[in-house]
Amino acid sequence: MRRKKVCFVGYGSTEYSRKSEASALSYYADAIRGALRQTGLNKKAIRGFSITTQASPDYSPHVAEQLGLEVDWVLNGDYGGAGGVMSVRRAADAIECGHLDVALLVGGNSFDKSVPTQRQLEYQRGNFVDVYGYGGPNSLMALIQRLHMENYGTTLEQIGKIAVAQRENALNNPQALFREPMTLQDYLTSRMISDPIRLFDCVMPCSGAECVVLASEEKAKQITEKLVYLVTDAEISHYQVANMLPDKTTFGQKVVGERIFSEVKHSDIDLVEIYDDYPIAVMIQIEDLGFCKKGEGGKFVDAHDLTYKGDFPVNTGGGELSVGQAGLAGGYLHIVEALRQLRGEADGHQVKKAERALVTGIGWLNYGRNLGTTAALVMERRK
Amino acid sequence: MAEARMPQKSIPKVNKVDEPFWQGAAHGKFLLQKCKSCGKLQFFPRVACVDCFGELDWVESKGTGKIHSFTLVRVPRNPAFKDEVPIYYINVILDEGVIIESKLVGESKEKVKTGDRVRAVFQSTHDPAIKLPCFELA
Repeated sequence: MRRKKVCFVGYGSTEYSRKSEASALSYYADAIRGALRQTGLNKKAIRGFSITTQASPDYSPHVAEQLGLEVDWVLNGDYGGAGGVMSVRRAADAIECGHLDVALLVGGNSFDKSVPTQRQLEYQRGNFVDVYGYGGPNSLMALIQRLHMENYGTTLEQIGKIAVAQRENALNNPQALFREPMTLQDYLTSRMISDPIRLFDCVMPCSGAECVVLASEEKAKQITEKLVYLVTDAEISHYQVANMLPDKTTFGQKVVGERIFSEVKHSDIDLVEIYDDYPIAVMIQIEDLGFCKKGEGGKFVDAHDLTYKGDFPVNTGGGELSVGQAGLAGGYLHIVEALRQLRGEADGHQVKKAERALVTGIGWLNYGRNLGTTAALVMERRK
Repeated sequence: MAEARMPQKSIPKVNKVDEPFWQGAAHGKFLLQKCKSCGKLQFFPRVACVDCFGELDWVESKGTGKIHSFTLVRVPRNPAFKDEVPIYYINVILDEGVIIESKLVGESKEKVKTGDRVRAVFQSTHDPAIKLPCFELA
């Protein structure tokens, strides 16, 4: 739907760590401090709070109490990797309804071993998938990638180009865990995990958190001169759920894309931040969102420069593939990077013309189909 | 100090909804749910038809179909499965037109290609009451 008076006014990010066992709560707090510093907001001005995490207990009132937040609106954004975009949508609804003027949205996870960091597998994955010794999401995405390669002739070189371009984007991003150059050869020879998914198709689990602050237009103008508007957004959960012969290589982003691009033009988008749990997921979303036809993602990748300097900048800070996946901070990383770009704060990896960005989220790899949750939004910098 | 425990291979936690399926599997039958209203077949077991929300019956599948996609798992989520790697994790389309997640077993599994014909076989687990429906090349 078209939004008119909702703005992103700031963000906060923590360092990402592969070793830290600090509590998830302390990561949320760090990200929030960053956002409060940037916006100049007092904690007491925050009347809306959302948390997206796999750390237990993840009940949103519990987390809000730990952080000392007295709020008029609280949300558990439990939508997997779509948690960032889908939480933004709900906060924007609340702001448009007048329930709130400022909302603070957080995603994060850590290796804190004193609390379970993963939910129990849901029923269908527990009873009908894990019992076969599957390899987690790597195996479910491998089934999809094999079909894309066999049905459309997509090559490993084309898929790998996405990972390599994102690594180039990460070289000057201090948050990225991987800042060494990676060649296509490195990608092609990386260790097989669940074929055709290789090591460099996978994200590195780590500790970290991201925070985004949303506000009404009126409030936003008091907070910052860097006004970034939410322009339009859409989501669908359980696309093809009633289809026992689903098209595994088409995600719900097909429907999301139709809705988004009834409001804006593809040519208006300067950069895309596409949820990248795997490079093949990026390619499929490029197709589903209508940047090219289904099955032509490989050719599209061949024809474009995907780096922040290129003609189709993708995951300009390196994405989850090069920055790391701090659990469900993953769904926020793309929003925060888009904000950096549109505010002109992406030092060392700044896209020259960055006025409009498309951001996506996908989550819940599921039984027999592909993604359970899919969502996207467009944001725009206005002077 | 935490008690050291050997990881065990995952087995289903049978519930009221999927109990008939596991009873069928224990007797070498692959059961699907069929909608009493619209006749649609579905899997995994649910409480209502995914299409029309009708009530459900159980019907037996022939247990035959073809490989839709497959992956060779080198790193299982549950490390207890490490002794089986590479695990031939598969999607099968049953002849009744329903997609199934499972595992390919048997002598010639290394030759698997998409489209290959398969048939269901039922593998014992460490729980004598539970047999896992797997597939082998037909």
